[in-house]
Amino acid sequence: MVTLAIAKQTLEDMLRRKILLVLLIIAVGMIALGPSVGFLSPRESSAVLRSLGLAVILLAGLLITILSGIQVIPTEIERRTIYTVLSKPVQRYEFVLGKFLGGIFTVFVMIAAMGLVFLLVLAWQEKRFDPEMLKGVVLTFFQMTLLGALAIFFSTFATPVVNFFLSFGLFIVGNLSSVTDSLISNKNPATRIMASAVHYIIPNFGNFNLQNKLIHPSVEISNANVFIVQNIVYAVIYSAVLLLLAILVFDKREV
Amino acid sequence: MKASTRRNLGLAVIPLLIATMFLQAAIDPSVREINKGQKTAFQGLSGEFVLGPLLGLQQAVAGLLWVRADEFFHSGDYDAILPIVRMVTWLDPHQLDVYITGAWHLAYNFTDSSERSDRRYIPASQRLLEEGDANNPEIYDIAFELGWQNSDKIKDFARAEYWYRKASTRHGADERGQAKAPVPMFVWHQLAHSLARLGRLEESVDIWKKALAMSEDFVKKNPTDFSRRNVRGSEVHNLELTQKRIFSRYKHELDWEVDAKVGKGVNRETGEPLSRDTFVFVTGSEVSQKQSAYAKAGLSAPAMAVGAPRPPAIEPTWNTAFDARPLFTAPKVLEVKGRFNVGDGARVTVRLHDDSYRTAQLKEFTFDINQDQTLMLDQHSVRAGTFGRKIDMSKDPKMYSFKSNIYYLVFEFNPRATSPFIQDRFGWSGEGMADPKYLWTDSSLQPEVRWIRKVYRITREQVFGGSIPESAVVSNEEYARVMAEPGPAK
Amino acid sequence: MAAAVSIQGLTKKYLDVWNKAEITAVDNLNLEVGEGEIFGFLGRNGAGKTTTIKMLLGLIFPTSGSATVLGKPVGDTDAKAQISYLPEEAYFYESMTGWDCMDFYGRLFRIPEPQRSKRIQKALEDVFLDPKAWRRPLRGYSKGMRQRIGIAQALINDPKLLFLDEPTSGLDPIAHRELRDIIVNVGKQGKTVFLSSHQLPDVELVCSRVAIIHQGKLLASGTIQDLTTGDTVEISADKVSDSLAGKIRGVVPAAELVGQRLHIAAADPSKVNDVVDLIRGGGAMLLSVKPHKRMLEDVFVDVVMNEGGA
Repeated sequence: MVTLAIAKQTLEDMLRRKILLVLLIIAVGMIALGPSVGFLSPRESSAVLRSLGLAVILLAGLLITILSGIQVIPTEIERRTIYTVLSKPVQRYEFVLGKFLGGIFTVFVMIAAMGLVFLLVLAWQEKRFDPEMLKGVVLTFFQMTLLGALAIFFSTFATPVVNFFLSFGLFIVGNLSSVTDSLISNKNPATRIMASAVHYIIPNFGNFNLQNKLIHPSVEISNANVFIVQNIVYAVIYSAVLLLLAILVFDKREV
Repeated sequence: MKASTRRNLGLAVIPLLIATMFLQAAIDPSVREINKGQKTAFQGLSGEFVLGPLLGLQQAVAGLLWVRADEFFHSGDYDAILPIVRMVTWLDPHQLDVYITGAWHLAYNFTDSSERSDRRYIPASQRLLEEGDANNPEIYDIAFELGWQNSDKIKDFARAEYWYRKASTRHGADERGQAKAPVPMFVWHQLAHSLARLGRLEESVDIWKKALAMSEDFVKKNPTDFSRRNVRGSEVHNLELTQKRIFSRYKHELDWEVDAKVGKGVNRETGEPLSRDTFVFVTGSEVSQKQSAYAKAGLSAPAMAVGAPRPPAIEPTWNTAFDARPLFTAPKVLEVKGRFNVGDGARVTVRLHDDSYRTAQLKEFTFDINQDQTLMLDQHSVRAGTFGRKIDMSKDPKMYSFKSNIYYLVFEFNPRATSPFIQDRFGWSGEGMADPKYLWTDSSLQPEVRWIRKVYRITREQVFGGSIPESAVVSNEEYARVMAEPGPAK
Repeated sequence: MAAAVSIQGLTKKYLDVWNKAEITAVDNLNLEVGEGEIFGFLGRNGAGKTTTIKMLLGLIFPTSGSATVLGKPVGDTDAKAQISYLPEEAYFYESMTGWDCMDFYGRLFRIPEPQRSKRIQKALEDVFLDPKAWRRPLRGYSKGMRQRIGIAQALINDPKLLFLDEPTSGLDPIAHRELRDIIVNVGKQGKTVFLSSHQLPDVELVCSRVAIIHQGKLLASGTIQDLTTGDTVEISADKVSDSLAGKIRGVVPAAELVGQRLHIAAADPSKVNDVVDLIRGGGAMLLSVKPHKRMLEDVFVDVVMNEGGA
């Protein structure tokens, strides 16, 4: 209950931030304008609309996640509101979990809003509802969950600026999964070890990029639904790891 | 938090991390399937477009790049488009329009100051399309484009037929890019046309019949589809036209028969059956087939031969009386004068190229062509039995560098590429052509084709001024032999 | 009397990473605060008051030493449920309304509804926050109203022990006085108040016991009466003869005579009657008898100055 109270407070606090609102408005505007850029590629107007929509959701989701992930805990310390919270019968792990959940609720609300607009625009354009696109939106949300957990973990010991570069940098490296995957079979053993380490240890954000399949239905994968479930489980377990570490660090943190 | 709790939580991290590694290994094969065909190399991408792909935004960046290419297109900066084409197709190998437009730029839009295309780019254009086709093997579009380029630009009807036939086995992409719809009828039409251009006339007629049957079936099921009725109309027209041409160009009285009763007549507007039967020209072998079918069934065959005997168009042969005389009136300025007795509107191809020039066989797409090579191709229309004009190659040193010492200057006429009303005089493959000097038969294709071709082997000095003696003429056999040899290694 | 707060040898050192110098914020502090006391914790800015309170609340961790709060070790959740804390210059969630903010803190104390609403209402009434402001966002509150919310959130759990860190700093005189009254009121309800302040007159008025901390060290502690013992009386008289002055010096040796004017700067109150009798009996003219009460401020200044920290 305490965790949820903190999460609720965090969500309400984040949703009142102008920057997130502006991001949401821009993103929704871009998605809504999607059909009008379809003319650039008349035969593939749908592909353009899809790729644009998914990209906008990913980019806006990325900014929202990073902005909230690196801020939720430092803001409490900076505003000294954390004193009034931790001096109450609140365990530190409850605080960390509450802040994480609050940030993720924020990301969820934002992605859900953008996803809804995207699906509506697409349905309006194609005169039918396409549930496949929902998969992309869901995977983006779980990708952001993992990124949020990463940012929360770093925020327990790094300043927001350092955290921004750490989280963003690891997000980029983690997106190189197809590169690292191909390097694992490299002839050079040092390259092989490095690539394996990056591929298996660093959170692998590239896993979640289903866009190619969603935009081009001719791209087949043999077990799409298993793939999605695997990715969700991956995001949940890895986020749990990061939150455990965050709790352990924050437990010894002086505020 | 108690020290023991902290330790237990810390230990819990290890099995969880191991679990994620196993999950990762399970996820990898699917990721490979998703990214198949996408290049992971980033070299050649400008900085602003590197970040996007790293974030899993390949398709979006490809889309944005393509918007930029469109700007370059409108400003006429075609050179700037090609690298973008390369990047876009790497980032998103499923954007058919990008391959097709890029290949079109390569094949058509690089020209000299007299709007002659730079043919050195054609192998690259073809290679780009082939790559695109391999990346989208379910969809007809790029195969069709390959067919079109080979027939319209290159006049290689054998390759055109190969690609059209391939396209006809594919599917159309629906609005979501999924390969589901049957290919449009124009794919079949072009396949029929390309077969006719190859002189494979019975196959061409078969394709027209097949296309017509498909359209009849479609119209029956969709009686209100008026555009498909138009398509059906053009198929009827083309089928009849091909048959009429076969008749007028090649047939004599023994073959000239009409099938008594091909089928029930159909009102072309409404699709309703007519009370009267329709009659379609058929070939002699079909008549005999039908006659034996009647005989087998114990029926008497209806009378089939109608009309009076008449010689076909290719008899007697037609003396084309071809000749061409080149003269370099100024350095790199060629003036051609020639005569050709085929009828106005026929086009003579004038080609000038390095002796070492061979059409590149590209394994990988590249638009980095050898700028030191010279290849000029011009088309001269025949007017009142003569042709020829000035070809000024001095203004475009980038296209015509003239670095080689020896060149071949070729004047040729391919009957398969010419207009139907010219073909009416001597058949699809030049069967009725006769020329005292320059007739040459190419037996590499069946049926074989007869060309008119005159070839000079000239020197660099001659290109830079002066007349070219008739002693520089080499035989068609000699030219064919040299061209069949591999070119020198780069 | 059971101890609400008990501190043994509490020390907090900060390592300054830039020049490797250590700063000792709190140095071997020993302190007991009894239940029901309003305890004044005095010191200059940077003396270590806030550091001590943060250690008592488990926000930071001592380098050495230990402490118990309400008989439980620092950080104990059960103890925390009965503690509340008003940080110095506390900020709250600006976008929340007063009521929502209180509701949030009430949830952190795990107070269930409908009890929570009742507690919120009572706490807000106790701090005299205008009910019209309850549903307005905190960003529109004045400094005094924010401080009332601060106190109210510290009262919502009906705590046994309140830590108030400089609660009156920056308030206007009326708000200041009202807040002081609230604290006195809280004390009357039998709650223990640990009041950190450098507003000495406040402390003197509301606190029963004080401790003075300077540069992390405890310099003095005790009841206000104990610390302020040593009141004196200043006596002046005129037309005092030398012989009379000699008699008076027999009672108060420090009496000074300038011409005929006698001045005693600080006489023991028990000697005043005798001196006055002598002056009046000796025909001199008594000018004034001024009692000098020793204030906490004097004690504070004495103690801190004696320690040599300016």
